[in-house]
Parts: sequence; structure tokens; C-alpha cells
Amino acid sequence: MANIFFLVLRRMRVPLILLIIVYSVATIGMTLIPGVTPEGETWRMSYFHAFYFVSYMGTTIGFGEIPYEFTDMQRSWVLMCIYTSVIAWLYGIGSVLRLVQDETFLRAVSRRVFQRNIKRLDSDFYIICGYGETGEMINRGLCNLGIQTVVIDQDAERISSLELGDFLIPPISLIADITNPSNLVDAGINNPHCCGVIALTNQDHTNLQAAVASKLANESVRVICRSEIEDEAKNMASFGTNLIINPYLIFAQRLKLLTSSQQLHQLQGWFINQYSDKQTHSLADQDETSAPKTGKWIICGYGRLGKAIHKAIEELVDDVTIIASDPIASRAPDGAIVGRGTEADTLLEAGIDSADVIVAATNDDANNLSIIMTAKQIKSDIFTVGRVSKETNQILFDRANCHYVMRRSLVVANEVLTSITRPLVTKFIKFSNSLTEDETAELANRIQSLSSHCEPVTWRMELNTDSSPELVNFINSGTNITIGKLCENPKIPNSRCIPLLLLRNGVSQVLPSADQLLMEGDDLLVCGPRGKVLLPQRLQHNTELLDSLINNNTKHIPLLRWLARRKAKTD
Amino acid sequence: MNLEKVIFAFFIILALSVNTSFFISGLVAPDFLQAIELALALVVSLICTVLKFGDRTQFGSTVLASSLVVDLLLIAAAVLWGVASQTGHESLSTAQTATILSLAGGALIANLLSVILLIIETSQLRR
Repeated sequence: MANIFFLVLRRMRVPLILLIIVYSVATIGMTLIPGVTPEGETWRMSYFHAFYFVSYMGTTIGFGEIPYEFTDMQRSWVLMCIYTSVIAWLYGIGSVLRLVQDETFLRAVSRRVFQRNIKRLDSDFYIICGYGETGEMINRGLCNLGIQTVVIDQDAERISSLELGDFLIPPISLIADITNPSNLVDAGINNPHCCGVIALTNQDHTNLQAAVASKLANESVRVICRSEIEDEAKNMASFGTNLIINPYLIFAQRLKLLTSSQQLHQLQGWFINQYSDKQTHSLADQDETSAPKTGKWIICGYGRLGKAIHKAIEELVDDVTIIASDPIASRAPDGAIVGRGTEADTLLEAGIDSADVIVAATNDDANNLSIIMTAKQIKSDIFTVGRVSKETNQILFDRANCHYVMRRSLVVANEVLTSITRPLVTKFIKFSNSLTEDETAELANRIQSLSSHCEPVTWRMELNTDSSPELVNFINSGTNITIGKLCENPKIPNSRCIPLLLLRNGVSQVLPSADQLLMEGDDLLVCGPRGKVLLPQRLQHNTELLDSLINNNTKHIPLLRWLARRKAKTD
Repeated sequence: MNLEKVIFAFFIILALSVNTSFFISGLVAPDFLQAIELALALVVSLICTVLKFGDRTQFGSTVLASSLVVDLLLIAAAVLWGVASQTGHESLSTAQTATILSLAGGALIANLLSVILLIIETSQLRR
């Protein structure tokens, strides 16, 4: 506040002094010039009258000539005063208006508002550095979950687009340089409610600087970084960045999974995409036939994505041909073909006739589209994988019937959202890679039959006194509740769910068996059909429901229910 | 030489001088108190106050505070005078004159303080 106050005072110095001078000269002049009373006597205005007269003259109110009519001498003085005072006022008001529009002033005001908003925060929040496409998705995802966000970006245009967005919880935004630690401190990095910093700019080095600054400002804060270059990622990891997300590696792993086990890919896909309305990697048709074959692959473009994919599938695929514009500079393996892949000649040279899969991995959306369309013209049943750099071009790839699309921003956004809002899901996905093919198929079938072929949702159930007090009371009073009883109770229709992961004392257990007993402190991840309120969720506070489930107390009237409960206890 | 500093010092010293002349004339001839001198002292003091707006140094804030004290006392004196002269009697009573003069005397002390601060700041300058 003090900052803004002093800024206003400093800017108002000249207009205020001008006003004081004009008023004092006019007032003193009025007292010095003699007037004549109706009786013909000479009189002089007192200071009180003179100041009164100048006040209403200067503000152009004009009550007339009082107490007596003025002489010509007085009138000529007043005439001069009128113009000077009007000019002084206009100058003063103009200065105030100019100050209000002034960039420095506005910045000081917005900074002040920002600091006050941060100070007032009383719920957990995340700091998002960089509001690009990815930042936008993550911000929206967090807002939809009811989590407060603080957004910092250097680009004023991006921040104003944030203000136009319609959010459940309006994010607090600031136009500032994220690499400056003092800005991060302003954004509340030392606030006990700060859950973490997410650095999402598309410059690895900027993210690195933001991560260093965050760790220096508050060592215990959780830092999540987007990184596309391995050297920078190693650098980030060296000082304890909590999570480093490389969209290319993640996508390459997903593509590898799709090739090796389509069912597991689908299973993980259900859980990754829970809160985004669109899919991470949209498969045009979910048929078995659309899975990429492991025969011959062609990868166009050997940049970061091309390399990551090549490395991931190398052992899986019989034959990989690389098309790169400069194979030597990009250190492509031997046998790489020089070209862009957008022309039929290059593709034919790479042997597209016998290829099963073509990957368009250049960093130019138009070229990628061209590669996909040319490839389809030559070989209509080829499996196409495309990379979209700009979210707005996504619709073109859909039109081109690209089988598998990589959207960089969405990959990062999903990874970040899953890891910070659903850590158990991240654990489950990690462990699910070790499931055998039969187990995967069985689980997929169970989930599909439960959710009637729609995408399932996951719920986390914590057995502690904070989030499910009633259930914990029951467990502590000696009642045995198995996971099966909780998740597959036949008495309550439409509330069945499948336990996916049990976290007990820091040890995770994938697909816990149904006859396992629940204990206090357990963390259970379950999945069930979308749009249904699952039983574990309902059980958290509902004593009566618990009672009827566990003690088989089927009475409906509260009094009878209570009596039955007493009876059960005395027995 | 900094023109801004010249103007500032000029007004601070002028405020002290005008205030002193009003005070002395009141002591010498209390029956012929000059309204214009009080008016000038008030105007100069107001300008001094505005000149110190926005200075965030310790020195600046002390001078601003003493200027505000001067304003307060002189405005009180002027209002008192205005009220007294409008309530019938042509000339001021001795008690009224004494009050106005004592207020002006108080303002004189505050003005003196401003000038002393100015001198201290100047003497602290190292070249």
C-alpha cells in the first residue's frame, strides 16, 4: 500500500503546487484590491470572504459577487483568476487520470492486489509457472478439482486470457519473470498452504531456473518440472526436483506399450484420462486390428521424439527405417534416408510398400500431416502415428484419420494432474506394467463388465479419522471388515467397485484379494462405473449404512435399529 | 547543483523567514497584526509539504512531518482569525491575538526544526 501511496504523492507534486499558488495569489489579490459599498465607502475583502469567493469561482460554481457588487478593477482581477484556476484544475485532474492509466502505477496496484490475495489464501494451492497450452490444461484440471492455483507468466496477453476464462475457482495471476526468486516468494512459496511449484514453460532452461529458485526459497516445497532435453533433466534431478516430466519419453513408452500389449495400454489409458474430457492418445478405432504390427516401422524426423520412439521400440520391432533431413547431424543410425518424408519418393525409398507403421515425428505440424496423408495414399492400411505441436491443429489430424496422435501439452498435463491429484493411480500404473497378460485381460474384462463398456472412474479411500471417521470407529471397535465386503457387497446394487491398489505402511499391493481385512491407516484405490456414487465413498460418514452392512441390522425405524444394535452388543 | 534541491531549500527557508516576520511583528505591535503575512506563511508551508511528498528517506519523512505540523498550526491560526473577525468586532481582542501568535510561535519551532534537518542533511553529504 505504501508503495502506491508514495507513487501517487510523487506524481501529484507539480499539479498540487500549481493549485496552491493559483489559489493563494487569487485570494491575496482579492483582499488587496479595494471595492466600493453601495453607500460609496471603500472596503476591502477579508481573507475569509476572499477564500470563500475563490473557492466557488475556481470550481466554477459561481454564486455571484458578494457581499457587494465588484468594481471594474476587481472584475478584471477575477477574470484573470477564472482562467488560471480552470487551467490549474484541468492540469491536476489530467495528471490524476494519466497516473491511473500509467503502466508503472497499474503494475504497482496489480502487484499489491496479488500480494494481498496470496496472503488471504487459506486453502492449499499450487504455483504454476508459465501459462502456455500445458499450463492452461493443468490450471483447468486443478480448478475443476477445486484446487486453488497461482499463475505466473511473463506474457501479459496470456495472463489476460486467464482473466477471461471461466473458472470455478478463479486463479490468482501475476505478470512477472518466474526465474526471479522474489517473484516466487511473492507468489507464496513460503506459505504453509503451498503444495508445490509446477514449471511448465517450453524453455528447459527457464524451468531449470524456476526450479532452482523454488528450491532455494523453500527447500521442502514440491517442484515439478517439464523438461525435454536430457541434460537439463539430469541437472534438475541433481538438486532434488521432485518430478521431471519429459513428454517424448512418456509418449514413446505409451507407444511401446500399445505395440506390446494393447489391453494394458487401454487399461492404463482409462486411468490416465480421468479428468480431461479428451483422450491423451486417441485411437481412431479400438479394434484389435488397429494395433501396430511389429514388422517394419518408418520414423520420419529424428529429433527428440524420433530418438525416444526409436529407442523404445528398437527391440520390439523387426526393422526400423529412419528418414531424417540431416542424418549425420542428428546422429541417426546407419541406413537412414535423407529427406523429409513428405514426398512419395523418399517414402518409397524407405520401403513403405512393406511397412506396417509410419511415425511422423518432425516438429512441423504441416509436414507431419503431409507425411501421414502421403503414406496413406501409397499404402492405405498403414498404421499412422503423428505428432501435434499446436493444440489447434489437433482437428486436422483427426480429419486425416491419424491412428495415434501425440499431443505434447496433453501428455504433460495428464502426467502432472495424475501425479499430484491421484498419486495412487500413478503407483497403480507403475505396478500394472508387471501384470501378466492373463491378469491384464481378466482385470480389463471385470472393469468393462462393471462399467458397462464405459470408461471407469477411480476413487481413493483413506481409512483415517479425518476422512472416514465412522468406518475407522467400526474397525477400532473390533468389527472385521474385508475389502470384499466393502467393494462387492451384494446387498447394495449399483455400488460395486474393484479394488486396484492397497497402500499399507508404505507398501503397495496391486489388486488386493477380497478376503483381506481392512486396518486403520490403509489407503485404498478403487475403480467403478462413471456417474455412480461408490459404496466406499458413501460409507465414509454414513453410520446407519455401515451398521446395516456389517451387523446385518435390517431394521428401518431408528428406535428398532438402536435396540437391535444393543442386542447385538450384549450378545 | 541540483535545481530541485535549490527550490526545496528555498521554500523551507522562506517558510521559516515569513513565519518569523509574522511572529516578530505580532510581538512588536500586537494591535497591527498583518493578515497577509500569515497568509503567505501558510501558502509557503503548504508548498513545502507538497514538495516533500513521495520522498521515502528518513530525512524526507521527518521534514514532511514537521511541515505537516506547521500546516496544522497555521491553518488553526488562520481559522481562528477568520472566525474572530466574522463575529462582530472590528478588531481582535488581546486574548485572540495571543492565541494566534502562540500558534504561529509553535509553527516557528517546527519550521526551525525543518531548517536544522536540512542543514544536517547537507553537512552529511560526502563528495
